[in-house]
Amino acid sequence: MQHKPNEQFKSKLEKFVNDNFEDKFLRKNFLNRFNSWPSSKIESWKLSRLGKLSRKEISPLLPNESDFDKNIKFLKRSYSLVFYDGIYRESLSDKLPENIEISFFEIKELEEFLNKCGNQEILSHPTLNITASCAKNYLKIKIKKNFSLDLPLEIIQYGGDSKHSIHPLILVELEENSALNLIQLYKSSSALIAPLEIVKVGKNSNLEIVKIFDDSDYCHNLSLTIKIIEENSECKSFNLIKGGAFSRSENHVFLKGESSSVDLNGVYLSSDDQHHDLTSVIYHNVPNCRSSQKVRGVLNNNSSGVFQGKVVVEKNAQKSDAHQMSRVLLLSDKANSNSKPELEIYADDVICSHGATVGELDEDQIFYLLSRGLNKEKAQHIMIDAFLTEIIEDSINAIYLENIKNETILGFKKILET
Amino acid sequence: MSILKIKNVHLKIENKPILKGISLSVNKGEIHAVMGPNGSGKSTLSYMLAGREGYELESGEVKFENKDITSFLPNERANAGLFLAFQYPVELPGVSSVNFLREAVNSRRKYLGKEEFNHLNFVKEVRKVADEMFVKDEMLKRSVNVGFSGGEKKRFEILQMALLQPVLSILDETDSGLDIDALKIVSHGVNKYKNNDNAIILITHYQRLLDYIVPDFVHILVDGEIKRSGGPELAKYVEKNGYAGIINAA
Repeated sequence: MQHKPNEQFKSKLEKFVNDNFEDKFLRKNFLNRFNSWPSSKIESWKLSRLGKLSRKEISPLLPNESDFDKNIKFLKRSYSLVFYDGIYRESLSDKLPENIEISFFEIKELEEFLNKCGNQEILSHPTLNITASCAKNYLKIKIKKNFSLDLPLEIIQYGGDSKHSIHPLILVELEENSALNLIQLYKSSSALIAPLEIVKVGKNSNLEIVKIFDDSDYCHNLSLTIKIIEENSECKSFNLIKGGAFSRSENHVFLKGESSSVDLNGVYLSSDDQHHDLTSVIYHNVPNCRSSQKVRGVLNNNSSGVFQGKVVVEKNAQKSDAHQMSRVLLLSDKANSNSKPELEIYADDVICSHGATVGELDEDQIFYLLSRGLNKEKAQHIMIDAFLTEIIEDSINAIYLENIKNETILGFKKILET
Repeated sequence: MSILKIKNVHLKIENKPILKGISLSVNKGEIHAVMGPNGSGKSTLSYMLAGREGYELESGEVKFENKDITSFLPNERANAGLFLAFQYPVELPGVSSVNFLREAVNSRRKYLGKEEFNHLNFVKEVRKVADEMFVKDEMLKRSVNVGFSGGEKKRFEILQMALLQPVLSILDETDSGLDIDALKIVSHGVNKYKNNDNAIILITHYQRLLDYIVPDFVHILVDGEIKRSGGPELAKYVEKNGYAGIINAA
């Protein structure tokens, strides 16, 4: 049977699940919910179209034992967990302290979790359904009660090739009173990486996540992260998006416990035909919670950037505090930026704000720097650095602030070169 | 020895003639004052010399140390030793003043074939000169010109001049917005920097500044032309009689 481009992947996916998994019947619920890539008629995909992805003739990669033996660390001092082809590789990873438990979990547990969420947008999400269908295993990282990891934990994604998709699935759970600094690095060479991550932050806990999107230049990254934050806990996240042909970091956050908070900041640096997207939905389910989103983008050449942030404040979630701000710098008149803030507020005693600006480098500022002997590249470099520094210093823990600053500088140097 | 030679310069902005045949010659060791009413083309002249985009000559010649600089980029002019102190210094939020100064000084040193400063050596150097220019240490820790008072901004311009050691400095209305104490401090800085190997063009509305920085030559710029040139007494004449006398006489 001849498939339309958009259905190609569905048939490959079905075959892959049928051929490779004994528990294929359990995976059917996910498989059946994915029919094709979302069309641009669907609101949350209007600004980030998947036409190019649907035309890629790709199939899920069957990971095998590989000879990949690099243990490349991002930080010198850290615990690193290496994923290759979307699969956790214990032999390449560091040994973890006792109070961190690594295990595999069952598809049933994932389904129960999703049923409890009962969120239609998540249930119909392509990343959830394809990755839950064809992930080789589901990895759980648990930080036990009353434990704070002394060094950052790194999760690094490598592998894949231009004909296949890879599907890492990770659950990170912080039990009560625990703390973790997590760095996630996407450096895959796959046609598509669809990471599904579930993050549970238990009471009185503290999680900081930095995600760096730096996949190869033909890669689509459709990252989906679901976060549940319990009482009195804080989750601070930062996305640095610079690689890939199309990279979307989508977060659905549920502020479930009172006095919890989430920061969802990000920077995207884009050039050529790259498309970068920060999408989020934050649910204020209970009173006295705080959410904040600060995004800065720098776009060159034909690239495009999207920030869509939705905040839902439920009826009883009084004293919610929710802020969004997106600022974009266009370095080319062909680059294009879209910002779509959305507030759905059902409570009456809340403080919510949003704003967005798009601009170019200021001519007066550039001339001032030129008149002091700096060349044009240096002048642009200095002004972009100044544009990004504030949000980075605001978002990033001092332990690895310099590393993230360097990654950022490498990122915007690259987009200035092209 | 000639530092700057401007010959019959014409310049249009948005098709409107602004400079209409200006000639000016500045030699080593000289201070020239260019005075004129609003809209006479004073700031256009300074942007033209600094090489700002949009201020290209329509015709005429500009030679800096006997080199035709009309095709030089602003940074190339700066590195060669031409400095413009801005009438309205630009704020650069997020750009540390010390780093900014170091980048500027190192660009010039590189051009001159001198060793560039590392951060530590530069901080020492800057402290010394800043002290002479009455620029407080605390100012250097802030972003460039952000939160500076009018007087601080002008002092910061003069500090840049003192650090960069340019051959020719164009001070564009450096006196505007300054009270008498600030004016004295800025003038002190300028006089300290001035020597027999460099030169200054002071662009100003008022004679007041010329009480503190005494020019060798005064030029009256009106409607894009230098209507009259003379010594310091010409400034005094303008102060007393206004520009009207000169406009009418011309």
